[in-house]
Amino acid sequence: MKNMKKYTLIFLLISALQLKGQDKIDASTFLAKTEFKIGYSGTILWSNGFLVGAEYLLKELDKTKERRGAKRTNTHQFLFNGNLSFMTNFSSKTDTGGYANFGLTWRRTNKKGKQFSIDLNPLGYYRSFLPETYKVNGDRVDKVFLPGRGYYSPSISVGIGKRRKGKVRSGSYVNITYSPRFNYNAGTLPTFSIQYGFRFNFKNKK
Amino acid sequence: MKQFNTIFLKIAFVSITICLASACSNDFELDNLDETLYVRHKNADMPAYIRGNSSEKVFLITLHGGPGGTGLGFTGKAFDAIENQFGLVYFDQRGSGNSQGHYSEDDVSIDLMAEDVLALVKVLQRKFGSDSRFFLLGGSWGGTLGTATLLKNQSFFKGWIEVAGANNPAGLYDWYIETFTTTANNQIALGNSVDFWESVLELVAQVGAVNNLDDFLDLNGKAFEAEEKLFEDGFIDAVENGIGGNETFFTYNFLTRGWNNSQIASILDNQGLFQTTDFTSQLSEIRIPSLFISGRYDMVVPMVSAQTAFDAIGSTSKELEVFERSGHGPMFSEPELFAEKVIEFMNAHK
Repeated sequence: MKNMKKYTLIFLLISALQLKGQDKIDASTFLAKTEFKIGYSGTILWSNGFLVGAEYLLKELDKTKERRGAKRTNTHQFLFNGNLSFMTNFSSKTDTGGYANFGLTWRRTNKKGKQFSIDLNPLGYYRSFLPETYKVNGDRVDKVFLPGRGYYSPSISVGIGKRRKGKVRSGSYVNITYSPRFNYNAGTLPTFSIQYGFRFNFKNKK
Repeated sequence: MKQFNTIFLKIAFVSITICLASACSNDFELDNLDETLYVRHKNADMPAYIRGNSSEKVFLITLHGGPGGTGLGFTGKAFDAIENQFGLVYFDQRGSGNSQGHYSEDDVSIDLMAEDVLALVKVLQRKFGSDSRFFLLGGSWGGTLGTATLLKNQSFFKGWIEVAGANNPAGLYDWYIETFTTTANNQIALGNSVDFWESVLELVAQVGAVNNLDDFLDLNGKAFEAEEKLFEDGFIDAVENGIGGNETFFTYNFLTRGWNNSQIASILDNQGLFQTTDFTSQLSEIRIPSLFISGRYDMVVPMVSAQTAFDAIGSTSKELEVFERSGHGPMFSEPELFAEKVIEFMNAHK
């Protein structure tokens, strides 16, 4: 109990210092480094929905290469990304669910603003939402409240895009995403989807 | 601006309330059902698509083929006609179609899947009332599962309809060899697709004398090819479209359906479904009215299977209908006749 009090005091002290330190973070820098995104997410034929997310720039560097006698400079970015998406199958009403995933993005942008990116999101969760569901246990039948199931669902995305430098709508993107669902039935369900949408940087002026 | 916001908020509130009310509504018209509900049983969530006219509260529960087919794979002309008379329950079995859940391979068994079917009946009774009456229909592998279900509890059902059903999957191996040999020799004598039928005889000569999974799968694959040839040569009116059905494309994600199919099929195959499962000796325990339907040119579950089951079943009221222009999918080859026989049987025993 004595130790508990000691650790609580240390924790509160560190927390206070941490908060004091955070006062100095420039909010404008945070917004300038953050792009928000919104777009379509789905498989077109079997599920359709939307995605919202954000990308925070962790590191940016320029790399210059010589190709066919000319120097080309590409910008490489490492970003932290977080996404929420929701998809449904309007035909069956049996394939509705939402994703939340977080991870890192590597993105290369050339001089013309064309982009290539790879997202690795090891933290991912999929929750299905089922229609009217009844649970049977022996002879007992109960209606299930908010039926559905949760699955660990990391993802990897590969995509292309276009940057609009200095604009509020700062870019567009198309990704193909592979996100397996663990444990689905007696194994791991592979799923693929397409994302298409726009990025926004609200610190930009135009 | 403030007034606009207030109006907008009111409209949004009313819209959300209407959406929630309609989403939570349990209203349904028994004479024109179109309901989808899930059965949660032993770590699996399995959808049942309930359609048709159930003004008399008479339901036909269907068990698809595979293992790993889709409930709605039966949909088409024949079942549309049955829906006009009775309620149809298309069920995606454990690990099939749009079913989901968390369980291990070791948990999966025919016995558990039969319990799932009985769980479905309990849910339907809860939803539509305990005065509801049920018939069970199993196609192909659904015949195996249906038989297992009836052996656990047949008191729920007014009748059993087995369509090209395999209640002796272990016997298929020898029946393939017999049927392939006879059919191939007949077709060669008639001069039809001679090269193909010679390849069938070659396969029969190559497979082992003892039932084994690899050779079984080769024979099973050849059976579907053989039906294609019989269709091309005018013996079958339409080939069975497997896990097709006329409203499955947008309902089932192609990848999910295929993955589920391969998973559940391999689990049951590896448990010896086609090497050891044989319900023939227990068929005498089934005493409810039964109708067996088989295609004359069924190469996948040869007609001898239906004849054996018909002879062995314990029902005093039993019928065997052989469809002369059909293979493994009589509901697709001769839909009018199929609907007529099923409706007649259900009307007689409801």
